[in-house]
Amino acid sequence: MTILELDSVSKTYGSQVVSKEISMRIEPGTIHGLLGPNGAGKTTLLRMMATITKPDSGHICFLGEPLVDVHAHQMGYMPEERGLYKRMSVVDQLLFFAEIRGLSRSEAQGEIRQWMHRLQMTDWINPSSTQGIKNRVKQSKKLEELSKGMAQKLQFLCTIIHKPKLLILDEPFSGFDPVNADLIRDIILDLKNQGTAVVFSTHRMDNIESLCDDITLINQGAPLFQGKTMEVRRSQFAGHYDLAIDEDQVEPEAPQRWLQHSRLVRAFKNPEGNWVHRFQCDAEFSSQHLLKLGSEAGRIVHFAEHIPSIHDIFVQSVQSQNHA
Amino acid sequence: MHKIGIIFRREYLSRIRNKSFIVMTLIGPFLLALFYGGMIWVGTEAVNSTEDGGPKKVTITGQYPGLTSVGPSESFAFQNTGNDLESTKALLNEGSIDVILDIQDLGQGSLDSVTAYSTQSLSLRQERELRSHLELQLHRNQLQSMGLDPLALDSLRQGVELHCQTLSDTGDAQNSATTLKSGVGFVMAFLIYLFIFLYGSMVMRGALEEKTNRIVEVIISSVRPFELMMGKILGVAAVGLTQFLVWIAMGAGLITGLSRFFGPQMQQGLQNTQSMQGSGSQALQTSISLWDQFHSLPFGKIIFVFVLFFLGGYLLYSSLFAAIGAAASQDTDVQSFMLPVSLPLVFGLLIAQASVIQAPHGSLATWFSYIPLTSPIVMVVRSPFDVSWLEIAGSAILLYSTFIAMVYLAAKIYRIGLLKYGKKPTWKDLYLWIRQSN
Repeated sequence: MTILELDSVSKTYGSQVVSKEISMRIEPGTIHGLLGPNGAGKTTLLRMMATITKPDSGHICFLGEPLVDVHAHQMGYMPEERGLYKRMSVVDQLLFFAEIRGLSRSEAQGEIRQWMHRLQMTDWINPSSTQGIKNRVKQSKKLEELSKGMAQKLQFLCTIIHKPKLLILDEPFSGFDPVNADLIRDIILDLKNQGTAVVFSTHRMDNIESLCDDITLINQGAPLFQGKTMEVRRSQFAGHYDLAIDEDQVEPEAPQRWLQHSRLVRAFKNPEGNWVHRFQCDAEFSSQHLLKLGSEAGRIVHFAEHIPSIHDIFVQSVQSQNHA
Repeated sequence: MHKIGIIFRREYLSRIRNKSFIVMTLIGPFLLALFYGGMIWVGTEAVNSTEDGGPKKVTITGQYPGLTSVGPSESFAFQNTGNDLESTKALLNEGSIDVILDIQDLGQGSLDSVTAYSTQSLSLRQERELRSHLELQLHRNQLQSMGLDPLALDSLRQGVELHCQTLSDTGDAQNSATTLKSGVGFVMAFLIYLFIFLYGSMVMRGALEEKTNRIVEVIISSVRPFELMMGKILGVAAVGLTQFLVWIAMGAGLITGLSRFFGPQMQQGLQNTQSMQGSGSQALQTSISLWDQFHSLPFGKIIFVFVLFFLGGYLLYSSLFAAIGAAASQDTDVQSFMLPVSLPLVFGLLIAQASVIQAPHGSLATWFSYIPLTSPIVMVVRSPFDVSWLEIAGSAILLYSTFIAMVYLAAKIYRIGLLKYGKKPTWKDLYLWIRQSN
């Protein structure tokens, strides 16, 4: 059953439309990436999903039921602007957030023990204490004693401690060093494999391509592209092919011939140091014809269709819409 | 309700575990005693103190047919030089005298045409003393002119000690103890005033801190803003009540200790007084009388009314303070909202000072003890003065009903304000937030 379904959701603040007719489906065991430039309306959309604000029009359903406040128990929400109680101990914060999300104190204590171990946070509490979590609470560090990265980890743990069915994360990797970013990423993937639906917004395109099953790109409050990550990329395929020929064996006149060719889109050096020429192919100038032309020119070291990256799609579509 | 309980527990425990709370709870009563002691001392000193430099030299000029002699007073030494006003003014400018009293026409026993000249303004007290001294002298002169001896008439005056008693429905007479009741009522009202601000500000700062720390967005994804606000308000209220209960326990312990220690001595003193005469025994009699009056106060009722109206007042004002904290983005935003919200409370204290102590059952005091924004102060000042339970219940129902209405409005501001950052909100914004549905 679909975890979360948005149907023509709109939200307006004053005269500004921040979400315009947005529809989305978030399935269990999938990761949905929400993309968009600053001010596109991502946070407003995530807040509506997390029951913090309500849409002006349209419907949101959680597990087939109209979304109401009680569903928030089954969600974990981590906003972009992180916040915890500065003078509260680590374990107290975890207990507090677990309890307000419906866990009993004893359940929360079990989860805390397990997750602190998994997230390598056990040194934040006194390891020599063997008198149960209640006593260790008093000895655990306070937030003001933690570094920013450690606080981020704690914030993430507060979000997932109650085993939510839907995880809503606003820029989940910001503030993490690569080691901790990988740790968080692994946990997100584990949760996904256990059936948790994850929706997150990010500006890091590498995360989108490697993590997300589905994406929604929004700009000025409205969706530009939606769908499976690979399908969205394929949908933007413009018939571009990349061709690289071994520089030592290249026919002397070949590059000039290519450069003068009207089908050449651009030429650039790849990480191996070869010149890559990107051509526009279509019915008149097919990829087979290009391949033949290349093989005549020298030894082909690289030949591939160029499917635009999410980054390219993002930049190009947002720029063209904003200039329109 | 469950979530209000969780928020309540967090607020309560995090605050009472705080070292500053423990220290304030222990030393608070002593600081308050010091404060009131200081006020009483300052008041007494102000009454007893005289102007620097001893009595002022006053020279009388002009015509004063009815006023043949002006005797000395505490602050003034009078002299008649017989000079005219202009030449006496020269003496004033030289500094050899302090005041010129120019009396022009007292033929009809009037003091309307008396003018006092001085190089420095006279204080209110000096003006009052000068006026009453002249009135007294004029009165004596007129008595003499009628052939009566003023001193003989003065000796006929007798002091009366008035013992005011109030009768209950059952016919039992009790000491009125008006001064003591006023004192007790005013101390309680001042405590409420102080604590509404103290704990109301605590709620406001808590809301503001959660907003600026950005933690609020995490919390309200699981807890409704109304639950967050109520949990916070009730948690801080419990902190205040805890502090009061500790103080009441400390006070009760102190009074019990004093009763056991000084009680028998006072009884002994009373017996001795009956067989003795003199100023020392009079002072002891006054102490014993005060002690008896103190014991005769309806403490059960007073404490009940105090707790009822402290809680009601706190809940009403703290919901407003919470809304202000949620609406503001930084400390400086708070100031403009605080003034109109705190004015009724300050006004209540003024009414308590000006009206309730003068006429605790007068119409002004009665009306303001019903108005919810002032009743937490005014009703508490009236409470030692045998206010009926019906009045107390009526006022309390109004107060708590207003709190429920106010919390509904404040929750709306709280809900929207918590997610608004940057721009300082205006009164118009708050109004729009109340009207906004989501």
